[in-house]
Amino acid sequence: MSEAVVETQALTKKYGEFVALDQLSISLQRGQILGFIGPNGAGKTTAIKILVGLARPTAGQARIAGVDCVREARKIKHLVGYMPDRFGSYDNMRVREYLDFFGAAFKIPWQRRRQRIDQVLETTGSTYMADRFVETLSHGMQQRIGIARTLLHDPEVLILDEPANGLDPQARIEMRELLLHLAAMGKTLIVTSHILPELSRICDRVAILTHGRLRASGTMDEIMTQVRQKRLIEVQLPNHAQFQQASQTLAQALGDHAAVVPSEAEAILRFETDRPDDDLGRVLALLVSSGIRVSQFRAVVSDLEDAFLNVTRSEADAA
Amino acid sequence: MPTHPIVQREFIGTMRCHRAAATVIVAAMVFSALVLLGWPSDAQVDLSGAPAQKVFRLFGYGLLGALLLLTPAFPATSIVREKQRGTLILLLNSPLRSGSIYFGKLIGSLGLVVLLLLTSLPAAAACYAMGGISLDGELLPLYAILLLVAVQYTSWALLVSTYAQSTDAALRYAYGGVLLMAVVSLGPHYFLQGTGGWKAPAAEHLRCVSPITAVMELVGHSGVGSKGLLVAGDVFWRFVSYSMLATGLFAGLTLLRLNHRLFDRAHSQGLITDERHWLIRTLRRMVFVVDPQRRKLTIAPLVNPVMVKEFRCRRFGRMHWMIRLAAFSAMASLGLTYVASLGSMDWGPETIGGLMVLLQGALIVLLTPALAAGLISTELESGGWQLLQMTPLSATRILIGKLASVVWPLLLILVSTLPGYVVMVYIEPSMWLQIRQVLISLVLTGVFSIALSLACSSLFSRTATATASAYAVLAVFCGGTMLVWLLRDAPFGHGTVVTALTMNPIAAGLAVIRTPGFEQYQLIPASWWFAACASMICMTLVIFRTHRLTRPQ
Repeated sequence: MSEAVVETQALTKKYGEFVALDQLSISLQRGQILGFIGPNGAGKTTAIKILVGLARPTAGQARIAGVDCVREARKIKHLVGYMPDRFGSYDNMRVREYLDFFGAAFKIPWQRRRQRIDQVLETTGSTYMADRFVETLSHGMQQRIGIARTLLHDPEVLILDEPANGLDPQARIEMRELLLHLAAMGKTLIVTSHILPELSRICDRVAILTHGRLRASGTMDEIMTQVRQKRLIEVQLPNHAQFQQASQTLAQALGDHAAVVPSEAEAILRFETDRPDDDLGRVLALLVSSGIRVSQFRAVVSDLEDAFLNVTRSEADAA
Repeated sequence: MPTHPIVQREFIGTMRCHRAAATVIVAAMVFSALVLLGWPSDAQVDLSGAPAQKVFRLFGYGLLGALLLLTPAFPATSIVREKQRGTLILLLNSPLRSGSIYFGKLIGSLGLVVLLLLTSLPAAAACYAMGGISLDGELLPLYAILLLVAVQYTSWALLVSTYAQSTDAALRYAYGGVLLMAVVSLGPHYFLQGTGGWKAPAAEHLRCVSPITAVMELVGHSGVGSKGLLVAGDVFWRFVSYSMLATGLFAGLTLLRLNHRLFDRAHSQGLITDERHWLIRTLRRMVFVVDPQRRKLTIAPLVNPVMVKEFRCRRFGRMHWMIRLAAFSAMASLGLTYVASLGSMDWGPETIGGLMVLLQGALIVLLTPALAAGLISTELESGGWQLLQMTPLSATRILIGKLASVVWPLLLILVSTLPGYVVMVYIEPSMWLQIRQVLISLVLTGVFSIALSLACSSLFSRTATATASAYAVLAVFCGGTMLVWLLRDAPFGHGTVVTALTMNPIAAGLAVIRTPGFEQYQLIPASWWFAACASMICMTLVIFRTHRLTRPQ
C-alpha cells in the first residue's frame, strides 16, 4: 500500500460555540479521487480551507505530502492547487494574461511559463480560449480555466470545490473525463459536489459529512455496507390481478405486514430486509407455490444518492 | 404611487437597511448642529436679521453639499445592479412598461432624498423663527433648488447606470458628472468674467448650470469671486430652466435605453491584432502607440506580478489610456502656459499657476479613488482575494504591487504637467521656489488620496461602497474646505478658513503660487504635516487590514 498523500487526524474547527468540523480523520493515497459530500453547512469547505492553509484548525492535524498544513502553510501553496467554488474573474484580462499572472505569482520562470500555459490549456482542452476575455467565458469554460490555473505550478494535490456546479450535461461529461485524466496523470484529487451520480462515477473514495462530522467514508462498496444494512427487494407482478393476494402472501412470508410497501400502479411490492439470499429464495418459492405469477424478483442496486439520503435521514431521525 | 412595486422595493427596501436609517438620523443631527452653531448667544435681539442670515447660509450650503454627496449614490447603482443580478430582464419581461420602471426607480431613489429634506424642515423652521428670512424670497426658493438638484442628479445617475457595466464604474461616472455640473462649471466664469466677446457671456450661462451659483445668489453671496464686477441677476431662473432641461434630457435618454436592447451585446471574442489582416495591423500600428489588442508578453522577472495584473485588468489602467491621459495633461499644461506667455489677457503667472494646480489637483482627486478604491474590495467581491492567498505572494508584496499600480499612473500625470511649470520658471525664474513647494503639495495630495482610497478599499467588501466612501471623504477634504473658503467673509472668520484649508493640500498649492483669493493664507508646512500624518494613519490601517485579510482564519 502506498503512502497517504492527504491525511487528517481528529481535525476540529470551532467558531465560538459552533462546531464547524468535528474530529475529521481521513486519508487519501496518490492518484486517488476523494469525493467530499454533505449538505450545505456540513463542514466540507471548512475542511478544504484547513487543507489549503486558508484556515487554522482548533485542534487536530492535517498533512499533505508530509507537510503540515498549519505550520508550513507556505509550502502547502506549492503542493496544492485549489479551485474555490467562485471563479475569481478579473475584468479586461485575456485567458493567457490571467494564467500568466498566476504563473508569475507562483514564480514559474518566464522562459518556461509560456510553455507551461500552453500545456495546461491543452490538458484542459482550452487552447482555443487563450485570447478570449476571462469575464466573457461561459460557466463551463471558466471551470476549465479554473482547473488550468490550479495545474500551472504542477501541484501534487488538486482540491476542487464544486467543479461540476452549474454545468450542462455535455460539460459535466467533459469535466468528468478531465478529472479522470488528471488522476491518471498521478494527481491526487479532492472533489466536492452536490451532483452525486457524477461523483460516484469518478471517485475512488467517498467521505460523507453532516454537521461537521464524518458519517461514512471509504470506497463506494464500503460506504454502501456502512450506511445500508438492509437491502431493498422488488417483486414485479405481470398485472394487478393477483396484487392483493401477493401482498398478503409476502407479508405472511416475512412475518411483518408493515414491511411490505405496495405500489399498485406499478404492480410492484417492495420490502427492506437483512435476510440472506437463501431465505429470499424461500420467499420467492412460497409466492410461486401459492400460484402467484412473478415476472421479476430483484434486489435494487443502491447508489451514492441513496447512501447520502440514508445518512442524512438517520441523522434527522436521531435529532 | 406607494403601491408601485418598484417604488416599494427601491424606497421601502432601502429604508429597511440600517445604513439608510443611520444616514437620515445623522443628517437630521447635522442640520440641527448647523442651526445650533449659528444660533445667537446674545441676550439682545438683533433686528437686522443678520444672525438668521448667517444660520441660513450655513444651512443652505450644508443641505446642498449633503444632497450633492448623497443623491447619486443609490440611483447610480440601481439599474446596473439589476443588470448584474439578472433582475432587470425579469422586470422588462413583466407587464410593467419602461416608463413605469423608470419612474418607479426615479421616485424610489428620490424617496430617501426627500426624506432627508423633510428632516431638515425643523431646522429650516428654526431659521425662519429667528426672523430676517423671508418664506417666499429665500426659504421656499432654497427648497425648490434643492428639489431640482435631487431630481436632476437622480436622473443623471440613472442614465449613467444604464451605460455602466459595473457598480463602481457607475459611481465613478455619476460623481464625475456631478463634479462637472456643480463645481467645474463655475471655473470658466471665474477666469473669463469681464473679458470681451462671446466667451464671458457663455461662461456666465455655464455658471448657472451649477446649483452652487443659485444658492450663492439666494444667500446673498452672488458677489463672491466676482472680482467686483456686476453679475447677472436672474441666476435662479436660469438655473431652474437649465436644471429642468437637463432632467428632461437625461430622463428621455434613459427611457430610450431602458429596453431589451440593453442586453443585446455580443460577448467579445477576444480579437488579437497579431492575427488580423495586414492592413488592419498597419492601421492599428498607426493609431495606437501601445495597441491594447496586441498579444502581451509574459510578465518579466523582478516585476511585481500584482502590479502588472492591476494594469492589465482595468480599462483605464491600460497603457494606451495612460499615454492618452499623459498627452492630454501635457497639452493642457503647455496650453495654459502659452496663454500666459502671450499676455493677451490679464492672467498673471499666479492665475495660470493656480489653474494648473487646480487641473492637476482635480485629475488626482478624480482619478485616484477610481484607481485605488477597488484595489482590495474588488478582490474581496470577486473572490480573487482567496486566489491571491493561495499563491506564495506575501501580503507586503501584494500591497506593494497594488500601490505601484496607482502610483505610476499618477506620477505619469504629474510629470506630464511639468512642462508648463518649466516654461513658467523660464519666463519668471523667481517662481522656482514656489513651484517646488507646489509640486510637494501636489505629491502630498496624491499620497493622501491614494492612502485614503486604499483605506476605504480595505474597509469595505463592496467596491461601490468603497469608491463612494473614498469620493465622499475626498470631496469633504478638497471640496468642502473650498466651500468654507468661499464663505470666508461671512460667516467664517480668517482662523476657521485657515484651519479648513490646512486640511486641503490642493489649497496649499494654490496659496503657495499666490492664486487670487489665496494670497493671504500661509498654509505650509501645516498643510504638509496634516497630509503626511493623515496618509500615515490611513496606510497603517491598510497594512493592518491587509495582514488580517491575508492570514488564515
